[in-house]
Amino acid sequence: MTLPQTPGRASAEADEIRGTVLQFLKEKTLATPATDQDLFASGVVSSMFAMEMVVFLEQSYRVTIVGGDLKIDNFRTVDAMTQLVLRLRDASDT
Amino acid sequence: MSEPLASERAIVGKLVGDNAESWDLAGELPVTMLRELGARKLLCPEIPASYGGLGSTSRQGGEFTAYVGSLCSSVRSVMTSHGMAAWTVQRLGDPAQRAGYLARLTSGQLAAVAFSEPDAGSDLSTLRTEIRPDGDAVLVDGQKVWVTGARYADLLVVFGRYGDDAAAVVVPTSAPGVHVAPVPAPLGCRAAGHAQVHLDSVRVPAGAVLGGGGQSLSLLVTTALAYGRISVAWGCVGILRACLSAAVRHARQRRQFGKPLAEHQLVARHLAELLAAEQVSTRVCEHASECWDSGSPDVVVATVLAKHVSAGHAARGAAAAVQVLASAGAQDGHVVARAYRDAKLMEIIEGSNEICQIILAQHAMTISD
Repeated sequence: MTLPQTPGRASAEADEIRGTVLQFLKEKTLATPATDQDLFASGVVSSMFAMEMVVFLEQSYRVTIVGGDLKIDNFRTVDAMTQLVLRLRDASDT
Repeated sequence: MSEPLASERAIVGKLVGDNAESWDLAGELPVTMLRELGARKLLCPEIPASYGGLGSTSRQGGEFTAYVGSLCSSVRSVMTSHGMAAWTVQRLGDPAQRAGYLARLTSGQLAAVAFSEPDAGSDLSTLRTEIRPDGDAVLVDGQKVWVTGARYADLLVVFGRYGDDAAAVVVPTSAPGVHVAPVPAPLGCRAAGHAQVHLDSVRVPAGAVLGGGGQSLSLLVTTALAYGRISVAWGCVGILRACLSAAVRHARQRRQFGKPLAEHQLVARHLAELLAAEQVSTRVCEHASECWDSGSPDVVVATVLAKHVSAGHAARGAAAAVQVLASAGAQDGHVVARAYRDAKLMEIIEGSNEICQIILAQHAMTISD
């Protein structure tokens, strides 16, 4: 059963994920991108790095990124990765 | 600490025996032997027990892979391809696909993975094989080249375009429209069953598309290749161990100018460099496998590094071993002659030296000021 989530809690979760992803990016690439910045177009990361993000997000949030979720668009921005984790966490809660 | 998978080593040691030379010369492995390895779950020991595998860690599976590689790189290559197929199913398949296919891949059926095409080698973004929906089925059309193990395989994991995205689909080699033509005389791993595969409107159920398809090609390929790279890296450790052992044995027994070869300093240097190569390759593989086992994001680059370092050392180490054995090893089928040819292929497959260097250079550019 899924409890209805208040917008406040959802956005707090999103902020936490965004912060964690940004921290990882900073550690790994020395970059501090805007959360809607295209990481591939701006050369911050390569597609190999997208794989690192897959492993990092799976390990950090106990989600599994498989099937059609294994898409570059899901890793294009910090916001997109945040949405992906929120969606997969919701799915695994039910 | 006892060696990982010790009883499994004994089994594979017995099955391979002293046949590696004759298999290399014949260019073919006995398929019954491969099926027995498969049924004993030894072609992909890392598959979890819940799916019928041995549940080995990457480190344990890696050491086992090195052992097989020290005996016969053709068998090890079949392991790599089969293991990559199993890993791809495990990583991309839905629960029913995982249960169904992995049960088959741990009970004696053989699988291979099909990436390369006539016009798409290192640059897989140009691959043309097409997987397209057709009612409750999909049609697969394309041409794949150098598919390791395809000659023996029951199932092929085929990578292709799927609309605007990509997919991996499991195709039985018995399906109408699948044509498998063995590569006549490969430079190395001669008995590994490399083949060209032509897929002519092959119809398989839509349920054979792993995870429903729709992945980005680069992520799909990178996912599958990661297993192939760590497997090849450990296989190269095995090549180096076989070379070191053969070179040491020869340098101890063979006498020239009144003393054993090992007492000639220029020969001793080869032995020192072989030992260094084997040790360095082992350590870099251990590090990558520990990243696999701990779920570290560093696994991606550590695996490319392990593959690159080990393949280069294996190619140079095998050349040095041939040099030490000289005429005693300069004959097709001999352990160092096989190593020399097999190791060269390891610098080409699963990301050539140059592709690995590009990835490592990009990584260097990312992490440094």
